[in-house]
Amino acid sequence: MNTHSHYLDIFKVTQLQLQSLVGTALSRGGDFADLYFEHTTFFNLILRDGNVSSGGFHTDYGVGIRVLKGEKTGYAYSENLEMSEMVKAAEAASAIAQAGGSSLSYSSGATARPTEDLYTMQQNWRDMQASTFLPFLLDLEKQITSKDNRIIKVMARLSDSVSDVLMYNSFGELTCETRPMGSLSVTVVFQQNGNTENKSISRSFRMGAELITPALIEDIASEAVKGIDERFEAIRPKGGQMSVVMGAGPSGVLLHEAMGHAFEADFNRKGQSIFSEKMGVRVCPEGVNVVDDGTLMNNRGACGYDDEGVPGQKTYMVTDGILTSYLHDRISAAWYGVAPTGNGRRENFRYNPIPRMRATYMESGNAEPEGIIASVNKGIYVEELSNGQVKIGEGDFTFFVKSGYLIENGHLTAPIKDINIIGNGPQALADILAVGNDLKIDNSTWTCGKEQSVAVSCGMPTILVSSLTVGGE
Amino acid sequence: MINEHEISLAKHCVRFAKANGADGARAILSKSRTDSCNMLNGALDKVSHCADRSIYLYLFVDGRYGTFSTNRLAQEELEDFILKGIDMVRMLEQDLTRTLQAPDRTEKNARTGRELGLYDESIEHSDSSTRTARAQEMCIYGNHVAEDFTILSEECEYGETSDDTFITDSQGFEGRHTESVFSCFSEITIQDANGDRYSGYWWESASSDKDIDISTCSRKALERAVRQIGPKPRRSGKYRMVVDTSVASRLIAPVINALNGSALQQKISFLDGTLGKKVFPDGMTLMDLPRTFGRNGSRMFDSEGVATQDAPIIENGVIRKYFINTWMANKMGMEPTIEDASRPCLMPFMKGKELPCGENEVSLEDILEYCGNGILVTGFNGGNSNPATGDFSFGIEGFAFSRGKITHPVREMLITGNFVELWNSFIAAGTDMRRCTRWQIPTIAFEGVAFSG
Repeated sequence: MNTHSHYLDIFKVTQLQLQSLVGTALSRGGDFADLYFEHTTFFNLILRDGNVSSGGFHTDYGVGIRVLKGEKTGYAYSENLEMSEMVKAAEAASAIAQAGGSSLSYSSGATARPTEDLYTMQQNWRDMQASTFLPFLLDLEKQITSKDNRIIKVMARLSDSVSDVLMYNSFGELTCETRPMGSLSVTVVFQQNGNTENKSISRSFRMGAELITPALIEDIASEAVKGIDERFEAIRPKGGQMSVVMGAGPSGVLLHEAMGHAFEADFNRKGQSIFSEKMGVRVCPEGVNVVDDGTLMNNRGACGYDDEGVPGQKTYMVTDGILTSYLHDRISAAWYGVAPTGNGRRENFRYNPIPRMRATYMESGNAEPEGIIASVNKGIYVEELSNGQVKIGEGDFTFFVKSGYLIENGHLTAPIKDINIIGNGPQALADILAVGNDLKIDNSTWTCGKEQSVAVSCGMPTILVSSLTVGGE
Repeated sequence: MINEHEISLAKHCVRFAKANGADGARAILSKSRTDSCNMLNGALDKVSHCADRSIYLYLFVDGRYGTFSTNRLAQEELEDFILKGIDMVRMLEQDLTRTLQAPDRTEKNARTGRELGLYDESIEHSDSSTRTARAQEMCIYGNHVAEDFTILSEECEYGETSDDTFITDSQGFEGRHTESVFSCFSEITIQDANGDRYSGYWWESASSDKDIDISTCSRKALERAVRQIGPKPRRSGKYRMVVDTSVASRLIAPVINALNGSALQQKISFLDGTLGKKVFPDGMTLMDLPRTFGRNGSRMFDSEGVATQDAPIIENGVIRKYFINTWMANKMGMEPTIEDASRPCLMPFMKGKELPCGENEVSLEDILEYCGNGILVTGFNGGNSNPATGDFSFGIEGFAFSRGKITHPVREMLITGNFVELWNSFIAAGTDMRRCTRWQIPTIAFEGVAFSG
């Protein structure tokens, strides 16, 4: 693990300068100030038409300076880390306190520091050469094309980033960490009797270059061709309201949209969320536990520290069906008079942190997945999903089903594809009839787009929702 | 704004790359500044100041290609960065289709960046007190009394952005594009007498300060929230669908994406093999009008420096243009065009009816009256489409209408179909596109769309 001086050297600053900048930021009377230094290097390599013939790297470097006065935020950043430029940014951020107004009591939030490094990096991406990864991408294409003669195109992309982050705040807390992220994705295009279908698979982890192994290539290659026969045969169901069985894994996007966003404390602090006045109230059936977890080793949503320097935590949003916690950043925690939950996150130094999810999942229940399907007379089974969306005030959420099956008389029958599902968050949660014993975390490249793009993940056991509106012909 | 030193630096990068082994190079230098002020429930909530600059480099080395960017612009660091970039490109496989654009296709007259009238110098004289006053001017929280609902929250943002881009390459191309953006955004959440919440938003943006109406932004957001009170279920079925201009581009974007060279070359386009063919009905004409003075989306050149031109994309249902950059042209053996649409504009149309002449606008109300009965879509809630097949499914919100008049809001509904089939049921397009949007898509209407609810 690197020492603080390692990070101070990266940004060419001293602790005295950090103190001075915070002093400038608070010179007009703010309640709290923090600095967020970030140096990120990105690298990508692309295989297309059988060749790894495109790639590059990118560097981003700067500091974001924030001043809080009550609930109000002053924010400025500088890409130039000369002291004079950082002072200008601190002065710009300090302007928020000029207008006066009420104060909030901010607390450190420095609970137990992480005892283990959540992002292992045995091989630093920055030390790797592009030539190391070329054979892996070529092998991936070879393995995929050998599995199905209907394949006409394969495009694969390896992306990685390493961020050095230094955070300092007006409590005098200095927090530093290095955050790796590696992602491998592939899109495969199939053609059969003049019809075209495509399938995309990805894996993403906060870890070093040891991620890229023959086993990973084999896993992605197998997944890339799985279920393609059904995709060509798939129909669109007749639309309307029906029972929906959400398969284990990517169905966690249901939680992310139907519940997670509405539990983010900024929406509740402002009275915008449909769950604004539901703390301590039953929102799900008994036995249901919903977690937002920043402590999963190497997970895409893992946070040793959040972007406010608060240690990563495992937060139970719903315990035995009762709403027990919102997801807090420092502002909402101070406003509600609770400890921050480590959910203050940002896309990069250009943005101020706001409450964001990490890895959001429902814990396993007792039901057998096969039994859940067998209990449904008429409905659909959702297997693969993509993007979702929610309207915070109304609670209406949607997600897109890439593949699944009709359920008829307790059996999976015709494959289905490309339909949207819509529901209302509180209603859908209340309508959960069964929770399977098969929790699975999905390790695809999930990215949440609430104002800023942030890496997240999700998970779910198989569940049954008694009624959702399903799109169809 | 980009200064002479930064322009020299960009040119130096290209020369340095060439001198150190690159066959060709392009540098794009971008600089932007945004100042914004946010209000929450009538009180100041956030002020922010953002200033960015970065350089993006395209390196062509020994028949190989790579892209690199950095925001660390000290010359010594840049030179080291370029040398590492050249080393990396040499590790990649050859791709002889990667070349710079033909020099005769580039724009020759984009010298100052202000040729299209997209920069309002008044932005340079604005200060934080002016921006705060403008944000305050937007607020209606506390000034609006109603018996049937309560305003729970009002968020307003006023922002000013200046963007400046300079491109240079090793073939001698130089181009500059400069624009200012004045913008406002309001979002209001209300609660009705039953305790149900509804939210509405509105926004405007313009390159000129005088073309943005700040004072009505929150009122429009409130109006959009209030009109959703009391939604009623609507039976699943096929209905005429009118799509409001504020969200209509959602239904044309997948069509334009399907004309992109990269999607065509990768066989993930439902419009593959349709160039010059009639795919859509007679009334569907979509123009690209990038040369309109002073309008959002106008530009003189694309990211390769290739000159834009006003031209049809789809003309009376016939596909007239694929968006083919130099790389895709070389790969597919086609003539290059432009990399993507700049400012697509859908032309007015009413199936079986003469359009009003002269200055008569075709409004949303005109189209509702023309359609008679159906569902007016005013927002999309999630959904997606399959780029290879054109199949789509979207969540929607909006209103039922009967005899040309809105009757009640609808919620939790979905539309499902295929884009080729949808646009073949296209029956009307108005003239009410919003001035502030880059894509000029007016209110549009379709026959027989499948709704689920």
